[in-house]
Amino acid sequence: MSSIAGPSLPADPSSETAARTGKPIATAVELEPGALTDVELMLRIQAEDADALSQLYDRYNGIVKALILRIIHDETSADDLLQEVFMEIWNQAKNFSADKGNPLGWMVTLTRRRAIDALRKRQAYARAEERFQAEPEQQPLAWVQNVTEEDIHASDTRVLMAKVINSLPVAQQRVIELAFFQGMSQREIASHTNIPLGTVKTRLELGLKKIYDGLKELKDEL
Amino acid sequence: MSFEEFQNSARLYVIGALEPEELQDFEAARRQYGAAAEDFINQCYGLHEAFALSLKPAKASAAIKDKLMAMVRERQNQSGAPPQ
Repeated sequence: MSSIAGPSLPADPSSETAARTGKPIATAVELEPGALTDVELMLRIQAEDADALSQLYDRYNGIVKALILRIIHDETSADDLLQEVFMEIWNQAKNFSADKGNPLGWMVTLTRRRAIDALRKRQAYARAEERFQAEPEQQPLAWVQNVTEEDIHASDTRVLMAKVINSLPVAQQRVIELAFFQGMSQREIASHTNIPLGTVKTRLELGLKKIYDGLKELKDEL
Repeated sequence: MSFEEFQNSARLYVIGALEPEELQDFEAARRQYGAAAEDFINQCYGLHEAFALSLKPAKASAAIKDKLMAMVRERQNQSGAPPQ
């Protein structure tokens, strides 16, 4: 890693560049009959209904924490950041617009940005990198490593997503891991992995295209 | 930049992996392709959800939610909003 500074992250999720349209790729959680939808919860949070935030937290804290943990590799900091992220959801709720996308997408974009910012600000990059490098090379993707054969046949959304990602060559998975979860630029990835910059770019493009195409198919099936 | 090249760049853009020198060309193509470009970029943000949803959910300390809700109530009290 040549520098702590990474690439410019996509804009704040409340801004136009993070605006998303269309139906979500998948429903993350199965809702009980009569349960409020994510959008309904967000509308209530906008009206400063604390119970709605409590419900949203119960629904998504596991996903949000997993994302944070995947980025900062520190359990204690992840809990602190989880709290900060949901506080930011409370504070920034008025910037959410259902016309521009779904709540989970908004939360994930916000969380990733916040976690990568925290990683840089706290200058924990080096420590995270050490932990990251300590992970077995043959299992570069902790994000899918727990998928079992039994899981593969399950219809759980998480497993389907993992299946799409897991279908990529390991080399492509690795550069995507570094770009998305570590917030590295192409140059940083090239430096970190000793892979030529052009190869990094090609692997990223091919890998992301395959995931994107796989998700489109999944979206059509759901 | 062809639209296919733009699509490749858009997928890099949404995860923040475009290099600064690539951003200029990307933004030019974005303007050139207009609404089609914006639609495609919006769809690409689905990648964020996909990566998050592929993770195995992690357990958070129960104390975190208590602290969060206490902060929210305190914020409500400060702003004069009625507690729910």
